[in-house]
Amino acid sequence: MLYRTAGQFKTSYVADQALFPVKQDAFLLGVLLVLAWVIFPLTASEFTFQTLLIPILIYALAAMGLNILTGFAGQLSLGTGAFMGVGAYACYKMVTIFPEMNLIVALLLSGFFSAGIGVAFGIPSLRIKGFYLAIATLAAQFFLVWLFEKWSWLYNYNASGAIQVPNLEMFGTYVSGPQAASVTEYYIVLFVVTLLTMLCINFTRGNLGRTWKATRDMDIAAELIGINLMKSKLTAFAVSSYVVGVAGALYVFMWKGAAEPNVFDIPLSFQVLFIAIIGGLGSIMGNYLGAILIVGLPVVLNVVAGTQVFEMSNTAAIFLTALIAAATFLFWIARNMWGMGVAIAFGAVTLIYGYAQLQGFRIESALIEHVNVMIIGALIVFFLIIEPHGLNQLWRLIREKLIIWPFPH
Amino acid sequence: MKHFTKIAAAVALGTVMGTAAIAQELYTPNLAYRTGPFAATGIPLMNGQADYMALLNERDGGIGGIPVNAEECETGYSTEKGVECYEKTKGQAIVTQPWSTGITLQVLPKTNVDEIPILAPGYGFSPMADGKVFQWAFNVPSGYWDAADMIIQYLEQDGSLDGKKIAFLHLDHPYGKEPLPLLEKLAADKGFELLPIPVGLKEMQNQSAQWLQIRRERPDNVVMWGWGAMNAGAITEAVKTKFPMENMLGVWWAGHDADLRLVGDEGKGYKSISWSFPNPDAPVMQEVKEMVFDAGLSQSNEEEMGGVFYGRGLVMSMILAEGIKTAQDHFGEAQIDATHLRWGLENLNITEERLEELGMAGMVPPFSTSCANHTGHSGGWMLEWDGTKFVKVSDLLTPNVDAYADLIASASADYATANAPWAMNEECSATN
Repeated sequence: MLYRTAGQFKTSYVADQALFPVKQDAFLLGVLLVLAWVIFPLTASEFTFQTLLIPILIYALAAMGLNILTGFAGQLSLGTGAFMGVGAYACYKMVTIFPEMNLIVALLLSGFFSAGIGVAFGIPSLRIKGFYLAIATLAAQFFLVWLFEKWSWLYNYNASGAIQVPNLEMFGTYVSGPQAASVTEYYIVLFVVTLLTMLCINFTRGNLGRTWKATRDMDIAAELIGINLMKSKLTAFAVSSYVVGVAGALYVFMWKGAAEPNVFDIPLSFQVLFIAIIGGLGSIMGNYLGAILIVGLPVVLNVVAGTQVFEMSNTAAIFLTALIAAATFLFWIARNMWGMGVAIAFGAVTLIYGYAQLQGFRIESALIEHVNVMIIGALIVFFLIIEPHGLNQLWRLIREKLIIWPFPH
Repeated sequence: MKHFTKIAAAVALGTVMGTAAIAQELYTPNLAYRTGPFAATGIPLMNGQADYMALLNERDGGIGGIPVNAEECETGYSTEKGVECYEKTKGQAIVTQPWSTGITLQVLPKTNVDEIPILAPGYGFSPMADGKVFQWAFNVPSGYWDAADMIIQYLEQDGSLDGKKIAFLHLDHPYGKEPLPLLEKLAADKGFELLPIPVGLKEMQNQSAQWLQIRRERPDNVVMWGWGAMNAGAITEAVKTKFPMENMLGVWWAGHDADLRLVGDEGKGYKSISWSFPNPDAPVMQEVKEMVFDAGLSQSNEEEMGGVFYGRGLVMSMILAEGIKTAQDHFGEAQIDATHLRWGLENLNITEERLEELGMAGMVPPFSTSCANHTGHSGGWMLEWDGTKFVKVSDLLTPNVDAYADLIASASADYATANAPWAMNEECSATN
């Protein structure tokens, strides 16, 4: 009822092939875009920009890059962190060699460097697959981080071995470095992420995407129907590394402001891989959902734990309540009692915690951190149990149920 | 839906109650790390810092009559968490204490824009000593270049270093690379051979390759710039390879009692330069014991309280408290803000007498700061492990700052150019 597709007739091939053939999908996307482009920048605080909005977008972009390689083309990679590093160092070298270069151009160009490196390390994929390929990309991970440490030209012979983002101007406003306003950085990130997301959606829907998927599903069969595996695999490496490289450049230039080589070490690769897996391999939207869960949720939990629950601001309270209500409702529609239970339990625990705070209960920040890690870990396991194919699939099921709601089948 | 109406009702109630008057307090958040790979070294420091502030709150009702809120924000030594904590606390904070060199590097340029003093006692970026350039940053009472200089001075006491070989075992990280420019300069001046041996973050616990190299090269001394698991790794490896312990020296972060206790008597002779010394007989220790520890306000324990790091934590909070007090006295108001505190930290004058008054005599050398000198260059003592605890084995060593003033000036100027436009303190006319 809420998501009625009845009566939406497609009378032309163009309408049938549209990106969003169902009106409600397009409408929801519109709402999200308005939120991202207008509402959030107007309302968000410095803290929200720096710890939620900007990192979620950047991590989602990195996961999207990995997803193209692993989710669409089926080539397992553990080198994402290092490819992000290539993008970051390339961007750093470009803006320090050509200070007058437009930053957005530099960001978009830096992806080409990582694409080149990605293709080079993708060559083994022509001979090996699966876990063996993962090991080959792991070699890229170790080699590149070692290179970032040892090749001092990369960080301009800086004594600390770290790269520091300079203050860069564009049209009279600072766009990067400590002088830049968070909202400016956010808009640049949002612009680049929107652009690359559109690109990725269209790539994966088009001819290239179909060859990737065929390669993923069965490479021998793909070869038999005339797909050039070398082209298919190497383009996947190129596009994926390009997106990952741009994400890496954004990661340092728009968010961290400084980075030492070990930032790009294997934990970063794993984090991005987790986002892609929990979000859903072979999806675009899943990357955003995964990034919200892995990057955003710990911050939110920390803030909730650190504030007096009964003294939070009205907006925050409404937002939290609405979020819990929406989650419960959607799980209810999807007949997912476990999900509903967890959403309600989350609200109940928050209330109990708030009540305990009124009684003078305090927990140490270190304990909060431990509990936070446990909750996030439990949620990851929980989501993977109720939906092994990731959050994207969970949303797909909910959407299916919404279409036929209130009928169960 | 019952639950949500309840939440909404509770929230509405909460906002009404939340509008009650906010009590005056001095908010000095600490970006602590009691979790993660460096927690073992972090916990005693954090406990020391927290306990000193707790003592002030218990004994004097805070500083200048206003309680101190030394809330901790847990970073686990991760840079991302650290920046999150900085953003979370910077609204009300009068100071930020970033702790790791990684977090300091990220937060340093931001504090110059946000105008919040950054207090990094004994760590961070050595050129922060130049107060004219780094007007919001303080690494009192001694920086890493001071430490390197004092270590070399101490070695020189046994005769000229000309022709000697000194291995520099360091963490391959901004922190470990920090003293390299100065050591290279000293090596050129004094004619010793410097052999930098980096230890990667992943190799901290397994340094056999590095110690094999040390065995092959036979250096006269090993100077260690380690942190966390690296120290214990290096010390156990040195014992295993029978390296003469008296020839091994560390920076102040490499002098953690627990690391040495692992090897006990075998570690006898290991030295660590330090600007703080745990003095169990100091009056302040008694007060902390009575008013904080016995009152159950501390997370520490007896053994830890006798250690070097706990004592150092106390000194760090003392420096901050003195900065606050100096600012309060100068501006004549108890509720100071970040700008006031900067003035306070710039005009610290910790004399012998003041340390005596504070009950901290012998726990830190006296020092003073100015608008041009944000480090104080207090100097320090060489401590030696006697098998059960660290003891002082030298008189007060003071760094020869004049010899590397140029290095400080050029490094800070480079930093300012790289980060242009960088706001500097133009009014300051004092010199180092």
